[in-house]
Amino acid sequence: MPYARTRIVNPKLGAFFGIFTSAFAGLAILALIFEGLDVPLPMIRTFVLIGAFVLFSVIGLASFTQDQLDYFTSGRRVPDFYAGLGLAMTAFGATGLLGLTGSFFLVGFDALCLSIGGLAGFVVMAVLLAPFFRKFGAYTVPSYLGRRFDSRAVRLTSAGLLAVPMVLILAAELRMGAFAVSRLTETPPSTLISVLAVVLAVTLGAGGMRSLSWSGAAQGIACLIAVVVPVTVVAVLMTNLPLPQLSYGGVMKTVGRGEASLGLPIVLPPALAFDLPGEGLQPIAKRFSDALGSVGPAAFVIAILTTMAGIASAPWLLPRVAATPGVYEARKSLGWATVIFGLIILTIAPAAVFLRAYLIEVFTAPGAARVPEWINELAALKAAAVDAKGAKLQLTDFLFSRDAVLFSLPVAGRLPAAAVEVTAAGVLAIAMAAAGSSLMALGNILAEDVVNGLSWEPPAEGLRLTAARLSLAVAALFGAAVAIIAPTDPMELLLWSLALSGSAAFPVLVLSIWWKRTNAFGALAGLVVGFSVAVLAILAGEGGWMGVDGALAGAFGIPAGLAAAIAVTLVTPHPSKHLFELVRDIRVPGGEILYDREMLLLKRRKMKRS
Amino acid sequence: MIERKERKPYWRHTKWQMLASLIPFLGVCIVLPLYAGNLNSSRFLGFPLGYFFALHGLVLIAVITVASFVNRQDAIDHWHGAHENT
Repeated sequence: MPYARTRIVNPKLGAFFGIFTSAFAGLAILALIFEGLDVPLPMIRTFVLIGAFVLFSVIGLASFTQDQLDYFTSGRRVPDFYAGLGLAMTAFGATGLLGLTGSFFLVGFDALCLSIGGLAGFVVMAVLLAPFFRKFGAYTVPSYLGRRFDSRAVRLTSAGLLAVPMVLILAAELRMGAFAVSRLTETPPSTLISVLAVVLAVTLGAGGMRSLSWSGAAQGIACLIAVVVPVTVVAVLMTNLPLPQLSYGGVMKTVGRGEASLGLPIVLPPALAFDLPGEGLQPIAKRFSDALGSVGPAAFVIAILTTMAGIASAPWLLPRVAATPGVYEARKSLGWATVIFGLIILTIAPAAVFLRAYLIEVFTAPGAARVPEWINELAALKAAAVDAKGAKLQLTDFLFSRDAVLFSLPVAGRLPAAAVEVTAAGVLAIAMAAAGSSLMALGNILAEDVVNGLSWEPPAEGLRLTAARLSLAVAALFGAAVAIIAPTDPMELLLWSLALSGSAAFPVLVLSIWWKRTNAFGALAGLVVGFSVAVLAILAGEGGWMGVDGALAGAFGIPAGLAAAIAVTLVTPHPSKHLFELVRDIRVPGGEILYDREMLLLKRRKMKRS
Repeated sequence: MIERKERKPYWRHTKWQMLASLIPFLGVCIVLPLYAGNLNSSRFLGFPLGYFFALHGLVLIAVITVASFVNRQDAIDHWHGAHENT
């Protein structure tokens, strides 16, 4: 019964992931033991990274399936906690994790615009979109839109437009994953990107969403351990309390005093300035707790809203909500996502503060300031540099690489070198989780809405899965090619893709549920106008033709998309009775899964015809 | 299964819940960071207050908002008989 509603959650999940957690902790402890035994560092690095890589891949391969409900929605039996873990990790991605930690370190308070946006995105998704998307039960966002508006044009257009932000995310994550591995080795990033893409395509191709859900949950656990434990150890060293999330107030006081005495400037930016740090080595820009120094107040609010819309309507996140057992669990999974997202933000902010404290210590220690040993170590890894301009060292003489800040903390805290390797494994894990999620969504859109997109009648099960697997491989190749050919700052790619998905999808998705009058013409107009305005705004912002940064393109795209969708809907005819009835069904949690019902109807009709 | 005539009141109830969950939360999200600079002059647990609210406070508010939404919306579903049958 391929369309039966399976709600049985595997009761052994806790045991499986307990085993995985022990295995990952064992890997980390073994690495520490090897270091104590003076095993050379490159060997430890290979051991940890390959070990983690193998663990994730085995879980992916072991989830092999030939059932289409398993392949596309993980059998709809991913419990709320695991779904939330996957959502939070995917929303962050390695780009968000490393980029946000680095931004906290370099610009302090102002990096909060992205984290608040992410949190708000989950809240908005939980209230406005997720339960209804789950009730509808479509495998991809374009399938949902196409079916909701009963229009192939909407389906194909949204597939084409929404693929763009997903390719950007995929490229960014592949680059960040390669960076986490290559950071200390000589392997060229293009080789690593290709290897990562191939491994992802193979492991996810085995079980589709099923592989993604379970390997993603394992990656989420690994990443949580790898990020939280080193920061906690540093917190114990600095504040004597193993609670980095709450205990660093005193450290912040010291940092603030140090920054003031070292003469770090107070910046008053123009309202629309959006000056988040880019790639490459750069000095600390402003005092940590000073609000709105690099990002102007208007830009701060716009960044919150764009990130919110982008995350809430992300076509690489929504299909994961469809894998939960029911509407109630879908809502709850967003609750877990908020908790885990919040926990990670609360952990990476102190990581940035602690690194600043180590840096300030250089100047407040008795005697003349000199370059400490850990900065020299970081400089050897190209994670930091000293650019002394005068005879006396200044705070701004120290340059840091944004994406390496999370790796720099264990070095600065004089933790064992193996700790850095474990953190790298965690970053690799989150990169795989996020890249896998966008790859999966991209492959499914390609197979379901483009290759099979001209007909609503689902192809035979075997054919459908083969098409999905081939599309996954094509998407992986494409993403890897983009990542290699266009080496743009991953953080920039992430912000663009959030602006694009927010502008194109957010207004139409929200209207499709909350305003039943919305018709296919309105949806089409909303998608196309939102997307094109956002693209133009990004180009104008990056080309310097407009005083607004490209990352804030959502400020134009979202209102434009909303206005176009509403205006065009109002001047075109009402949707059919059947569609009104469909929206009424979407709004009620009880009853059948609508997508499965419609597919079953089509199948019956086809059988009657032949 | 929900009765036909019950669908309208159910949706009205749901809409109010949506507004009650989102408007206060988004209001705080947008307004709070703008005044964080002024709040920073006071301290709590050593943290500048504006920073503390914008980081810890908003995480807490977001979690409470989703949790209360899940709880309330579930109650609404059951009240109108719109819940899933398990």
